[in-house]
Amino acid sequence: MGGGVTRQIARFVPAVLLALLLLGPLLALLVRWLTSADKVSLLAVINTGTLLLVGKSLLLSGIVAVLASIIGTICGFLLYRLKFLFRGFYKILLLLPLLVPPYIFAVAWKDGFQWLFGINSAINPEIGMIIVHSLVLFPLAMLITGTALSQIHSGLEEAGLMRVSFRRMLTKIILPLIRPALTISFLLILIISLSDFSVPAFFGVNTFTTEIFTQFSAFYNHQLAISQSFLLVLLCLMLLLSENKYLSDAPFFSVHVKGSSTKHYSVRKGKTILHILLWILLVVVLVLPIVMLFHQALSGREILFSRAWELLSPTIFQSAKLAFLGALLISATGLWVAYLKERSRFPHLNTMLLLTFIIPSTVLGVAVIKFYNQPATNFIYTTILILLITYVARFGFIAARIIGNGIKQIPGSLEEVARVIGIPPVKRFFSISIPLLLPSLFTAFVLSFVLCLGELGATIMIYPPGTELMPAKIFTIGANAPLALTSSMTLISFGVTMFFILAFFLIGKIIFNRFRYE
Amino acid sequence: MKRYFFSLTLGVFFILIGCKNSSNEVVVYSTVDQVFSEPILRDFEEETGIKVRAVFDTEETKSTGVINRLIAEKDNAQCDLFWSGDPLRNVVLQSKGITSPNQSEQTDLIPGHFREKENHWTGFSARARVLIYNKNRISPDSLPRSILELTHPRYKGQFTIANPLFGTTTFHIAALFTVLGNTTAEQWMEELKKNHVVIATSNGDVKKRVMNGELAFGLTDTDDAFEAKKESSDVDYIFLDQQPGGMGTLIMPNALSMMKDSPNTENGKKLMDYLLSRETETKLAISCAQMPLIKGTEVPEVVPSLDHIIPMKIDYIQTSENLEQIQLWLKKWVEE
Repeated sequence: MGGGVTRQIARFVPAVLLALLLLGPLLALLVRWLTSADKVSLLAVINTGTLLLVGKSLLLSGIVAVLASIIGTICGFLLYRLKFLFRGFYKILLLLPLLVPPYIFAVAWKDGFQWLFGINSAINPEIGMIIVHSLVLFPLAMLITGTALSQIHSGLEEAGLMRVSFRRMLTKIILPLIRPALTISFLLILIISLSDFSVPAFFGVNTFTTEIFTQFSAFYNHQLAISQSFLLVLLCLMLLLSENKYLSDAPFFSVHVKGSSTKHYSVRKGKTILHILLWILLVVVLVLPIVMLFHQALSGREILFSRAWELLSPTIFQSAKLAFLGALLISATGLWVAYLKERSRFPHLNTMLLLTFIIPSTVLGVAVIKFYNQPATNFIYTTILILLITYVARFGFIAARIIGNGIKQIPGSLEEVARVIGIPPVKRFFSISIPLLLPSLFTAFVLSFVLCLGELGATIMIYPPGTELMPAKIFTIGANAPLALTSSMTLISFGVTMFFILAFFLIGKIIFNRFRYE
Repeated sequence: MKRYFFSLTLGVFFILIGCKNSSNEVVVYSTVDQVFSEPILRDFEEETGIKVRAVFDTEETKSTGVINRLIAEKDNAQCDLFWSGDPLRNVVLQSKGITSPNQSEQTDLIPGHFREKENHWTGFSARARVLIYNKNRISPDSLPRSILELTHPRYKGQFTIANPLFGTTTFHIAALFTVLGNTTAEQWMEELKKNHVVIATSNGDVKKRVMNGELAFGLTDTDDAFEAKKESSDVDYIFLDQQPGGMGTLIMPNALSMMKDSPNTENGKKLMDYLLSRETETKLAISCAQMPLIKGTEVPEVVPSLDHIIPMKIDYIQTSENLEQIQLWLKKWVEE
């Protein structure tokens, strides 16, 4: 009895603490808004103008989600199910646009377009936004559908191919099986596009999110902005609730697909065409923006790389340190939340992380400031703890899903056998689960590291005075610095990110070789 | 072994987190471009031994950072001194009861016109609004001489201004409404729209579009114009409305405000006095061509003097109040 109570306390107290740390700011903001004397009610926000704007935003983001899902699914199939040379190389490079702030790509593509086709070839703002969002976000669809495609048992496809053509098998077996992944890709891309401010603002497209930011930053009307934000969150929640089950089980991606036998199709004809198509995509999404950044960096009256390095170098260690700590905390939280969901049937923390994941970063920033800026919590607010908590809120869901997917692939029987022969739970966890989860944990860590390294939206609102971070410095210096300096700084930041990805890739190779079970 | 590994990881985690704030410090939030403000803060640190902990941001890129942060921190102030690129933000903070008055020998050096009467904010080193142009697209003789001439059909689709909801362009438009009166100013802006004005995302975007020849000219600030001249020989700038009896151009001083109930008030005042000095004004004149407000400050020859520019005669407080009234109209104008 006593042991049972202790176990319940050990299980629920940390869960309540995590909920307080992450959900507390949002609940406090909601309560503050509901009880405020000058509150702007949701009903007051909903009018013809708002509905039209919401409709326009949904339409634009819907087009983005459809395009990105189509490109991503095709790439997912090509890279996860076909056998051909340099498959891994394409996979890694095509993921990179997801790891760079979209605003940087928007600037580079617009300039690239003008550079290639002349200054009068101005691109339509709405089309510009759709193109940039689609090209930046399609890797997400590629990851999710690619993983889902890797999990289809070869027997199903082989059985189908015995009776029908490949095309019919594709439409009747594969597509229905990956429907959850397609839905998740579509919804996540729709939501991310809907809540992004930087790209529509750059192209001058008026969307519901730019409207919220205008209320925040031009009119300092927090009450109206918060009301509009709640409307946006409600909208996202409505979209998510329709597919809640699929989304909370979102595969994102698996490092290993243990125990499955996926069918890989050999490419006999059309190898050259396949490589050409993938290279065209690579050029558009990666090479062109990088070439543009180099062109801008070198086109000034003087080469400013050394000046850019001088400005950025003090921030690199601090940013890397913070990203390392953030990734450590996010991975640990993700592991715990995923374990509770998959093994203890306690999905509430996972749902909470989903909620904090979809909140616009500025709203999260304001909520965190209001909640933690108290004399009693100054030790959080005035140190990097505030950033770490915010990073967990922003990216914890992604880590939890990557690790959760790994946990699903560990047969329950392994832990069951260990339990039966009397191995204590902690030893079972560290000796069986952790080694088997290492690839997923490592992937969650690396992805979280890169996301923390580039996070800007919330960071710029809450970073403690005196802290110098790479994205915030590029953003603030870029406002009035020569274009060559901004581009040089962006390239250095890109190079630093690539350096860490490469370093982790090499470390990962060593770890996985060491822990490989033959 | 595993336990050691996890203990080590936890140890590293807490060592990396640990950071101690010094008591001899000052916290400053700045919306002035970091590239210009940071060196001055470093000089203060070296000269006084007081550690400066800064938060940088920029209004030009529509960030929601510093101002919203100061508003959100109202009940538990973390910032001692707010250094803004123009007084408009300080007036917003003053209206929300976040600033506190501060008067000293240094504040008295600043002409009364550039100070709030109760010293909630004090101005120093100023920028002005200018017309930047691309010499390959338009000859100096063909340029408009008054801002009101931008509505002339010969300039149709050739010029740009930054989004008037943000940055110093907000200030400029609010000042025009103050000088011209709402009806005339609204009519002028409608005509700008009819003349196909291009709305850029920021002053930096105005500079870029003119520099690369996409547009012939645009309105921006002196520091952007100086940067553009450094970057390209195709670009130059002029002050508008400088004819005798003309409306003059908008002068925008930097503005400093002490925060109410700030944690390091004394150090905040020391930093404020340091910034309100001839030395600082000289440094800003050299780095970004800002025009000193304190008489007798040494500046490079290329920096224009306020003595030779006809300023737009406005009351900064009244202009800020005007802005609040016209913001919704401006928003509609932008979205039309």
